Amino acid sequence: MEIVLALAIGTLVASGIWLLFRPRTFQVIIGLSLLSYAVNLFILATGRMKTDAPPIVPQGQAVNPALYANPLPQALVLTAIVISFATTALLLVVLLVSRGLTGTDHVDGEEDGDQSDNGKGGQ
Amino acid sequence: MTDGTLLLIALLLPYMGSLAAAFLPSRSRTLAALLAGSQAMLGLAIVIWLYHGLPGGEVVRYQIEWLPSLGVNLTLRLDGLAWLFAVLVFGIGFLVVLYARYYMSPDDPVPRFFSFLQAFMGSMLGVVISGNLIQLAFFWELTSIFSFLLIGYWHHNQSARDGAQMALLATAAGGVCLLLGFLLIGRIAGSYDLDRVLASGELIQQSELYLPALILILIGAFTKSAQFPFHFWLPHAMAAPTPVSAYLHSATMVKAGVFVLIRLWPVMAGAEAWYFLVATTGLATLLLGAWSAIFQQDLKGLLAYSTISHLGLITLLLGLGSPLAAVAAIFHTVNHATFKASLFMAAGIIDHEAGTRDLRQLSGLYRYMPITATLAMVAAAAMAGVPLLNGFLSKEMFLAEALAAHSGTIIDQLLPVLATVASAFSVLYSLRFIHQTFFGPPPVNLPHQPAEAPPWMRRPIEVLVIACLVIGILPAITIGPFLATAVSSVLGDRTPHYSLALWHGFNAPLIMSVIALSAGVILYLLFRKPLNNARRSPVIGRLRARRAFDTILNAIFTGAQALENLLATRRLQVQLRLLIGIALIAGVLPFLQHGYRLGAVPVTLVDPIFGFIWLIGGVCAIGAAWQAKFHRLAALILLGGAGLATCISFIWLSAPDLGLTQLLVELVTTVLLLLSLRWLPQRLPDIWAGGRTPFIVRLRRGGDLAVALLAGAGMAAITYAVLTRPLPDSISRFFMENAYSGAGGTNVVNVLLVDFRGFDTFGEITVLSIVGITIFSLLRRFRPAPESIVMPEQQRVQNAYDERQEGRSLGDTLSDYLTIPRLAMIWLFPVIVVLALFLLLRGHDLPGGGFAGGIVMSIGVILQYMALGTRKTEARLVIVPFRWIGIGLLLAAGTGIGAWIFGYPFLTSYFQYGHVPVIGKFPIASALLFDIGVFAVVVGVTVLVLIALAHQSVRKPRTVAEEQD
Amino acid sequence: MIDWTQHLVITPILLPLLVSAAMLMFDERRRALRRVFSLFTALALIANAIALIHLTGSKGGLALTYSAGNWPVPFGIVLAADRLTALLLLLTSILGFAALIYSVARWDKAGQRFHALFLLMLMGVNGAFLTGDLFNLFVFFEVMLAASYGLALHGAGRARTRAGLHYIAINVATSLLFLIGVSLLYGVTGTLNMADLAVRIPAVPASDIMLLKAGAALLGVAFLVKAGMWPLNFWLPATYAAAAPPVAAMFAILSKVGIYVVLRLSSLMFGDDSGRAGHFADDWLLIGGIATIIYGTLGVLSARRLAPFAGYYLIISSGTLLAAIGTANTAVLAGALFYLVSSTLAIAAFYLLVEPIERGHEEEDELVVEAVFEDELAEALDEEENEIGVVIPATIAILGGGFAFCALLLAGLPPLSGFIAKFSIIDGMLRGGQAILPMHWVYIAAIIVSGLGVLMAATRAGIELIWEPSDRAMPNLRVVEAAPIALLLAICLGLVIMAGPVMRFMEQSAAALEQRELYTRAVLHPSGGAGR
Repeated sequence: MEIVLALAIGTLVASGIWLLFRPRTFQVIIGLSLLSYAVNLFILATGRMKTDAPPIVPQGQAVNPALYANPLPQALVLTAIVISFATTALLLVVLLVSRGLTGTDHVDGEEDGDQSDNGKGGQ
Repeated sequence: MTDGTLLLIALLLPYMGSLAAAFLPSRSRTLAALLAGSQAMLGLAIVIWLYHGLPGGEVVRYQIEWLPSLGVNLTLRLDGLAWLFAVLVFGIGFLVVLYARYYMSPDDPVPRFFSFLQAFMGSMLGVVISGNLIQLAFFWELTSIFSFLLIGYWHHNQSARDGAQMALLATAAGGVCLLLGFLLIGRIAGSYDLDRVLASGELIQQSELYLPALILILIGAFTKSAQFPFHFWLPHAMAAPTPVSAYLHSATMVKAGVFVLIRLWPVMAGAEAWYFLVATTGLATLLLGAWSAIFQQDLKGLLAYSTISHLGLITLLLGLGSPLAAVAAIFHTVNHATFKASLFMAAGIIDHEAGTRDLRQLSGLYRYMPITATLAMVAAAAMAGVPLLNGFLSKEMFLAEALAAHSGTIIDQLLPVLATVASAFSVLYSLRFIHQTFFGPPPVNLPHQPAEAPPWMRRPIEVLVIACLVIGILPAITIGPFLATAVSSVLGDRTPHYSLALWHGFNAPLIMSVIALSAGVILYLLFRKPLNNARRSPVIGRLRARRAFDTILNAIFTGAQALENLLATRRLQVQLRLLIGIALIAGVLPFLQHGYRLGAVPVTLVDPIFGFIWLIGGVCAIGAAWQAKFHRLAALILLGGAGLATCISFIWLSAPDLGLTQLLVELVTTVLLLLSLRWLPQRLPDIWAGGRTPFIVRLRRGGDLAVALLAGAGMAAITYAVLTRPLPDSISRFFMENAYSGAGGTNVVNVLLVDFRGFDTFGEITVLSIVGITIFSLLRRFRPAPESIVMPEQQRVQNAYDERQEGRSLGDTLSDYLTIPRLAMIWLFPVIVVLALFLLLRGHDLPGGGFAGGIVMSIGVILQYMALGTRKTEARLVIVPFRWIGIGLLLAAGTGIGAWIFGYPFLTSYFQYGHVPVIGKFPIASALLFDIGVFAVVVGVTVLVLIALAHQSVRKPRTVAEEQD
Repeated sequence: MIDWTQHLVITPILLPLLVSAAMLMFDERRRALRRVFSLFTALALIANAIALIHLTGSKGGLALTYSAGNWPVPFGIVLAADRLTALLLLLTSILGFAALIYSVARWDKAGQRFHALFLLMLMGVNGAFLTGDLFNLFVFFEVMLAASYGLALHGAGRARTRAGLHYIAINVATSLLFLIGVSLLYGVTGTLNMADLAVRIPAVPASDIMLLKAGAALLGVAFLVKAGMWPLNFWLPATYAAAAPPVAAMFAILSKVGIYVVLRLSSLMFGDDSGRAGHFADDWLLIGGIATIIYGTLGVLSARRLAPFAGYYLIISSGTLLAAIGTANTAVLAGALFYLVSSTLAIAAFYLLVEPIERGHEEEDELVVEAVFEDELAEALDEEENEIGVVIPATIAILGGGFAFCALLLAGLPPLSGFIAKFSIIDGMLRGGQAILPMHWVYIAAIIVSGLGVLMAATRAGIELIWEPSDRAMPNLRVVEAAPIALLLAICLGLVIMAGPVMRFMEQSAAALEQRELYTRAVLHPSGGAGR
């Protein structure tokens, strides 16, 4: 299991970073979404893995923490999800506005001067 | 009132005067002059009064705590030397003010001039009476700044601006070096207090920091006192109004460097390094200044270079290191101040009356301004070192010292000769100054008709010239005692025996000055004519220094520009690459340093289904990365795939809340992205020249790919390393133990969100609100690119079809489209709302909560948009986004603050279980109120964003509206 | 029960939030009301900060703590305010007050909901200074950043959007690093509370040390981006220059937040007694700081307009501060804190000054993009051009004076506080018998050279803009514009006059960082506070 999760995070990070380096705003935003998946999974992973043990404690009786999943990272992930949702939405709107004002969807708001410049071909 | 406070008042006076003058109306010339003059007079009176104790060797002190912890206090310290300089500052200051009153034209904003002048006066006084090195440097820099402002006073002409800039950069840079030097001295002596420093001579001379300190201090002193090779700024400073030149650039400011050398002479002088650095610099400056002065055609230029040369003379004397030489130095400082100031003023009068300062145009002015001429002649004679004048005395001392020099090097032999040569030069240019200006045929085509200056403009000169005479004839009884006080305050028990007398009998110095005098006269007679044709002084000219300065300045600016371009980038991609690259290094280094080790926890074996999910998830991720450029929709779907895999693994890893939330967020995000697709440009594969991707591009992509893979591998490795380690005793157990007992919730995650770490959620909804506001205000101004305003093709086809069929009205096809699902969606709305509320309420015990509920609610709204179209939905929308956000925030904050009433900190929760039919038992916790706040904010924000985005497609195009409808 | 003064620790966060939430409730057009609200909020924040300084001072510099939710430390989120925090809160609120006054001239009309966003940013900054919990720090960073995005884009236009896009993209990526770092630290130590971390880190086994360092390093990178360390700072001058002047002035504090966090965490988590990981980043900070100073100096010299000039100066100051942290020398740190205050005030004043000075020169780079949509909400967009405020006579003299003062402050020349700031940093390095490392000499040289570079550039710019006769119309300065600038500069003058006490305060703050139990003890074993 651990190895799968690790590889999953690795894949997400790799694809995300590749997109992050691309010149088109849309690519960047997709990349950032992928990265945030990876980070959320990673945060959860730092609470160590536990399957089939949701952090729902019984009412009233004494609790043995060993039996439940670690709730703290989950709470952190929830906050992280919301915040990354918000910033993604904002970035999206900003790139729309920038595309409108500059007429291009290049991250620098202008097409590169020479053909050979940064990843004109993108991926 | 004690002497100390008097001294403080003397220091404050000029600044108060300056402040007052600054607020005078710009026409009130006389008033400002009166103010400045009386202020200077008063200051002078105080200083003279303070003299009484000094001969007895006592020192007037005043100290205020300023920066005690750094050993810097406002320490005023008036001893003999300081007194001498203070008298110069105030005395000559007063005369200059009087002179300036008549010199400055009423059209200039004269009060500003006097304001700067007095501020300078105060700063100069501050330099000489500082009892603390740092404080000295403080005032030192102030003098540089005010000299800048004064030189640039006529800033409408280029030369003034350039001169000011040059002077400031040169002297301020020097000042910084001086400060650094003082810091080093402070480190050696363990204190910045002047007395302490003067007491620790050996310590300083033996320290290995002595040489750097010496060099830094010398740079400071030399820049200020215009010593070679830092002399270049002084001639350009002549662009200043003449009173400024007379005051700053002959009598006071340029003496500050010399002053510091004298001040530190007891502790710094005597070492080999001191002798060679100071003496040679002085000698070089002496000769160079004198030489260049000969060839000047501008009166003030001539005086400026002669000033340089005389400062060189003083520096040389100090460099020699013998007490007698020091005495001569101090003496000459005073003499030079007197005769040079008066000469500048005379030059000013000539300029003022004749309208030019060009020696080639001037001639025979004696017949127009006899008095000024006489005064100038006396002063010039003093400058040339003619007997019966003060200049003669100090020059005699100088020559004597030149003979007595004893460093055991070639300098000893050279010095007498060079000294004589230099004084011959000074005779020559003094003679030229006088003869060219006042004698010879009457002047032709001068700008003005020359006439005698108003008497009050001459008074200052008269005073100074009389001083020259009196000191020159009766030195012992006039300057004698004061000089003695000053000297003993510097040299202490090393004070040598010296005699101030006009006549020392036929000795070598006398012969040397006779030679110098006669040589000067002869040379003038020989070279008079050619000198007038000299364009610039041979061998070494001012232009070179000037050009050098400019080239260096430009080199610095352009060089900086180039380097900056080299070191910086404006491109986002490069910046992100740097960011990730550095993060990669930062993440990897520790592992290189300590090695990569796995933990002890045995790995659980792989569940094939989970593996399969992530096989797909990974493929989706890579696919998204691959498609994002040319097939956005495909990329979006693949992204969704990856997201789904994430949701599933959340649930799998026993985090149902995360799974739920991730899924919902997924939905909304996708909708947003879909809404945005319309405004993005169409993207076609790039056509590279030659049909194949250029090498550089492929290289860059290769690099990116490598970094991406490395980062991915790194993250995987770290994750694996973490997962195989046991979780250290974590704070988490507390939450599980207290979730129900302490906070009345069984869903620990939700309890964490709304209670244990409710403060995080509090911040999180704030972020949401901010983003909502921002997006709204951004889209209100939204201006899509022209080509994307055009109505989408499908829509146009549909409309065309509607128009062709009779009996169909525009938009019918659109409304027929997906009728059944639309109805379903419309009916779904209430259900969704109930679901949302349900999720909200039960959140405390089971997966759900305010955020999930809110998102569900807004998904309901989205469905309405799809079903009814934007206009209708907006028409019937009950949600007023800003209200909801506001209410939500207030509710959340209010719930938290509620706890204050009961004397508990913010967000302290209170709970109680209630029972509602259908929904069942649910907690009435204050946390629930908080969660409702969250709910409101989430709904508000998401709806706000959706409206803002979706709305764009129905806004009426302004420019292209006509042909569209 | 807890006495009300304890609430003063959290009010700097709550007050701006409540006010801006209230602002959302009423209509955008009630502008006067908004202005009154936000200005009073800023004043209240100033008072609050001063009160905090007194309170913590009365407890001998012991940190005041506040546990949100009243859960025992380290489980609940705790806020902590010691001298340093209180000082920074005061600085922030003063900047905010000045910027808000200035914005009244016309900038708060340049777009939507200016005051709400502005207050929310204050909230974020205050929260970042106050919080004692690593993840909560992340949250407040996001609050601060989100608001700063909104403010950076306030007024729209090409330049702002382009700069804003870069700013947002980079910061979103940085936030992800932040998250990774935080969770890694949690994974290694099992806690998020800073004080608790400080206690637990020495106990981290050798087998986990590399994970700890990796986490800390990633966090560090995230903070250094905010702090503007070369080569992670290229976005900074562009973004700040594009922003509206009052916004840029307020942004002067943002980089200081990054610096503060680096300082706080390195002193808490990687101090002398942090075992294996102690001081592991100091050399990096020193070298990086010096590189940043050099880069900033080059930038200042090559800036052709004043706004970028200010941005590059900001970079110089960040470099100076980072390097000072790198020296791990309390005396230097005290000087650095003085420098932090002085330079921040100076930069803010400078940003406010730039626009009126260049008003005449500026070639309108805001090429108006013709609207393609009917503006349906035009009523809320009214940008009436009639600018309020009395126009001051003799403007050019005042602008000149202001510029001169700012230049002196930035170049570190007397009579203003810049001189003392630089002097005290260098003095701190030279004082005492201990030998001076080569790197420290380089640092001193860098400080000196950067000062000269700033002087050169400022002289050139000042002569061009103020002395050279030009035919442009005399810029008209309004009182509401002049007053905040005057306020900021006056404070700098006050710093010189009160140098003694101020410096003593800084020394105490620096010393408190050195002996971290002052912080940890207060946080982990709070005396006050109510049990459930």
